[in-house]
Amino acid sequence: MTHSTFAQNNRQKRQQRSMVSHVIRILTVVCSLLFLTACSGSTNTDIHSDKSIEIETADSSEEAARLRVVASFYPMYDFAVKIGGDKANVLCMVPSGTEPHDWEPSASDIAALENADLFLYHGAGLEHWIDSVLGTLTNPNLVILEASDGIPLRTGGTDETGSQDPHVWLNPRYAKLELEHIRNAYIEADPDNKAYYDANYALYAGQFDELDHLFSDTLTPLSRKDIVVSHEAFGYLCDAYGLNQIAIDGLSPDSEPGPARMAEIIDFVRDNNVSAIFFEELGSSKTAETIAAETGVETLVLNPLEGITDEEQRAGKDYFSIMKDNLAALTEALK
Amino acid sequence: MEIFEYAFMQRAFIVGILLAMIIPCIGIVIVLKRLSMIGDALSHASLAGVALGLILGINPVAGAVAACILASLGIEAIRCKLPRYSEMSIAIMMSAGVGLAGVLSGFVKSSANFNSFLFGSIVAISDLEMYLVAGISLAVLLMFLLLYKELFFLALDERSARLAGVPVGAVNFLFTIMTAITVAVAARTVGALIVSSMMVIPVACAMQLGKSYRQTILYAVVFDVAFMIIGLFSAYYLDLKPGGTIVLVGVILLVVILTVKKFLGLAD
Repeated sequence: MTHSTFAQNNRQKRQQRSMVSHVIRILTVVCSLLFLTACSGSTNTDIHSDKSIEIETADSSEEAARLRVVASFYPMYDFAVKIGGDKANVLCMVPSGTEPHDWEPSASDIAALENADLFLYHGAGLEHWIDSVLGTLTNPNLVILEASDGIPLRTGGTDETGSQDPHVWLNPRYAKLELEHIRNAYIEADPDNKAYYDANYALYAGQFDELDHLFSDTLTPLSRKDIVVSHEAFGYLCDAYGLNQIAIDGLSPDSEPGPARMAEIIDFVRDNNVSAIFFEELGSSKTAETIAAETGVETLVLNPLEGITDEEQRAGKDYFSIMKDNLAALTEALK
Repeated sequence: MEIFEYAFMQRAFIVGILLAMIIPCIGIVIVLKRLSMIGDALSHASLAGVALGLILGINPVAGAVAACILASLGIEAIRCKLPRYSEMSIAIMMSAGVGLAGVLSGFVKSSANFNSFLFGSIVAISDLEMYLVAGISLAVLLMFLLLYKELFFLALDERSARLAGVPVGAVNFLFTIMTAITVAVAARTVGALIVSSMMVIPVACAMQLGKSYRQTILYAVVFDVAFMIIGLFSAYYLDLKPGGTIVLVGVILLVVILTVKKFLGLAD
C-alpha cells in the first residue's frame, strides 16, 4: 500500500516536474517571441521617429516650402532642376554612373516616393518597373507625370522589331515638349509659384530652340549621313536631322553581339567610308572597339544621356553641354 | 571563305580552339574529382574580384584572377574537410562569390567598367586578351603534360595517389591555381557560360566513348574543338549568339551519343 502510494506520489511528482519543465520551455519560447517582436517593434518606431524628426527639421528650416520632387533618371532630373530651380528639392532615382535599362528601384526609393510631392518619370517603356511601383504607392498627394506622354514614339529598327524606342529626349524638340510637360506638372503640384516655373520654362525653352537650330545648321550641310553606334538609342536624333543610324546592338545595351551582325557592320563601315564608330560611356565598348580595330576607324563617345557620371556632374555638365559634345563628335565623324 | 575575312572571326577561332584544347584537360580532372560545377563557382567568384579591383583601382582582371585563386583554394579547403560532400564546397564558394559581388557592385561608381569586365564575348576579343589566353594555354598544356601521371592519380583516388608517392598537396595546389587563372581569364574573354560548359560537356561525351583515361582526354579535346568550330560557323551563318550556340552544339551531341549508345546497347 504505502509502497504503491509512494510510487504514485513519485509518478505524480515526476509528472508535475515534467509539466513544470514544459511550462518553462513554453514560457521561454513565448518570452523570446515577445522579445523579438518587441525588438522589431522598437526598431520600426525608431525608423519612423527618425523620419518624422528629419521631416520636422526640414519643415522648420527655410526648405519648408520646397517641393519634394523625385525624377526617375538623368534627363528627367536635369529638366526637373531646370524648372524647379530653388523652389524644389529634386532626387534622381537612378544613381549617377548607372545605366537605367537594367536598374530597379530599392525600398528607399519607394519610401522617397511616398514622401514626395511630384514624381516625374519618362515613360515610353524606359522604366520597365513603373507599373508595379505606381501600383504600390499610397501617397494621395503625389502628382505623377509621364513626360513622354503625347509624343509620337518610333519603334525599334534592327534587332527588336516592334518594341518602342524610349530615347525621345535626344531630339531637342521633343525634349522641349517634355520640359513643357514637366512645367505643367510643377504648376499642378504647386500653383502658387506658377510665374516662377513659367519664367524658368521660357528661359530654357529658348535654349532648346537654339540647340535645335545649332544641330540642323551644323549637320544639314554635311554630306555624310550614316553613323555607326553601339546602342540603338539615336533614332529620334537621326529622324530630326536626316541622319541614319546603324546600331551594333538593339535598343538596350550590353547584349552579346551576333557575329553575322558584326560582319555586316564591318562591311558597311568599309563600303561607306564611315570614319568613326560611336560608343557610350555607360555601356560596354568591347564590340565597338573590335569593329573599330578591324576597320581601322576611330571610336568616339556619343552620349545617349541616359545617365551622367560623377565626374561629368562635378564638371557642371547638363543636357545642353552634353548635347553640344555630341554635336561636336557627330561633326567630326561626318565631315 | 568569307567567314575568315574578318579579323574578329579569326581571333574567335584562335582563342576558341586554344581554350577548347586546354579546358577539357582541366575538365576531366575536375569531373573525376566530382567538382563539375567549379567553373560556375569560380566565374561567379571572379565577379567579386572584378568589383573589388574597380573599387580599389587595380586592374579588374588581376582582381578576378586573385578572387578566383582565393575561391578555388577555399573550395579545396572545404573539400578536404568534407570529402564526401565535395559539391557542397562549390555551392558555398559560389554563394559567397555572388553575395560578395552583389554587395561590392553597389560601391562601383561606374557601371560601364563593371559591365565591360563582366561579360566576355568570343566575337569581341582584344589583343591583350588574345595574348593572355595564348600564354595561359601554353602554361596549362605544359602543366598537364609534365604532371600527366600525378594528375591522373589525383583525379581517380587521392589516397592511393599519396601511397604511390605523389606529392598530393603540391600538385593539388598547382592544379587549383591553374584552374583558377584559366577560369578567370577565359570567363572575361569568351564569357562564363562557354567556360563552365567546356569543362564538363566534352568530358561527358568522351566518357561515353573513351575506353581509358588517355583516350577519354583525347576524345574530350577533339570533341571540344569540334563544338567550338561548329558553334562558331553556325553562329556566323545562322546569325545566332555565339556563346549559347557553342554550348548547345555540345549538349546536342551529348544527347545524340547517349541515344545512339542506348540503341546499340539494346541491339546487343
